Amino acid sequence: MTAPDQVARLRVLAAGLRAPLYAETRIALPFDRVWAVVADLEGELPHLISFVREFRVPPGDSERKAAQAEDVLGLRGPFDVRLSTGWCLMQSRLVTMGIAAEPDGAGTRLAVCGAARPAALGPVQRVYRSLLGKRRTRAFFRAVEHRAALR
Amino acid sequence: MIQEYPRRDRSPPATAPPAAVAVRCPAMDDDVRPWDAAAPLVRAAQRGDALAMDDLLKLVTPYVTRLCGSIAPRDTADAVQESLLAVFRGLRGLRDPQAFYGWVRAVTVREAARVARRTASETPADPQEIGRLRDLLPGAGGELTTEVRDLLARLPVQHRTVLVLRELEGLDERTTAALIGVPEGTVKSRLSRARSSFRKAWTR
Repeated sequence: MTAPDQVARLRVLAAGLRAPLYAETRIALPFDRVWAVVADLEGELPHLISFVREFRVPPGDSERKAAQAEDVLGLRGPFDVRLSTGWCLMQSRLVTMGIAAEPDGAGTRLAVCGAARPAALGPVQRVYRSLLGKRRTRAFFRAVEHRAALR
Repeated sequence: MIQEYPRRDRSPPATAPPAAVAVRCPAMDDDVRPWDAAAPLVRAAQRGDALAMDDLLKLVTPYVTRLCGSIAPRDTADAVQESLLAVFRGLRGLRDPQAFYGWVRAVTVREAARVARRTASETPADPQEIGRLRDLLPGAGGELTTEVRDLLARLPVQHRTVLVLRELEGLDERTTAALIGVPEGTVKSRLSRARSSFRKAWTR
């Protein structure tokens, strides 16, 4: 069996989560450089997502980690993180975020997905998607590209 | 609207257990049947737990891939993606988590047949090659041989779907008919045509 395409895997997950944020793009930089940015969660996530001030991840190669996030308002919360090549899934009590990447010739296909967990937030998510979804995902892709270009 | 299938259809799919057991998930022991292991993941995924959903995706992908490989051999990747999207979009509507595998099978067969029908021309199979259908039963690894896969690829989609469900999945005619949405008589006639060719080649 061929290895699963990580972007396709995230697309399925986003469909299952009915995620208000899901987008794909192609970045004209090699996969290794792009993924090096995403995989460096502690160093890079505050640069990629505007409301994250700090993201602490225990050291080690384990694919499953317990991280601590702090937002710009100073609120802290634990995150379960699954990180492997081309795949990053992070979940707290309130939110889920997924990032997937696949080599695409000399470039990289990148996908991002975000969802709020409580089912009661479904209507809010739909409004959020229509108002801010595209802007958020474009900003994320631009930030990843910018940080990867600096490496 | 998601339908539930009869309880007898909840038997494990013939090819699911080896691959499903091979994929480890946190709450899974060797003696736990895959459809039992799936149930708590289904419940958690229905509540919006993305980690459980990802575990469930890993658990079920090998089974969906094998089924799609048999029904849509020329477009397996597309069929797998369409099937998984349909499964996970509809997951919240599944009332009985224990029926997960039967339901996945129904969704996958429907999506794989739809993808296979989209492809261009189909070449009728040679009766001599159909004779080799006796090899249909998967080997130790649960995978079809390349030869059998190639042979299946040359059958019309409708015959291929019925053969896969009857010979590989071991379903009876009524369940097969319910799964693909045709009368039981139609399943019988499709099977009859394939088997007629099979017998001719077998006796040579």
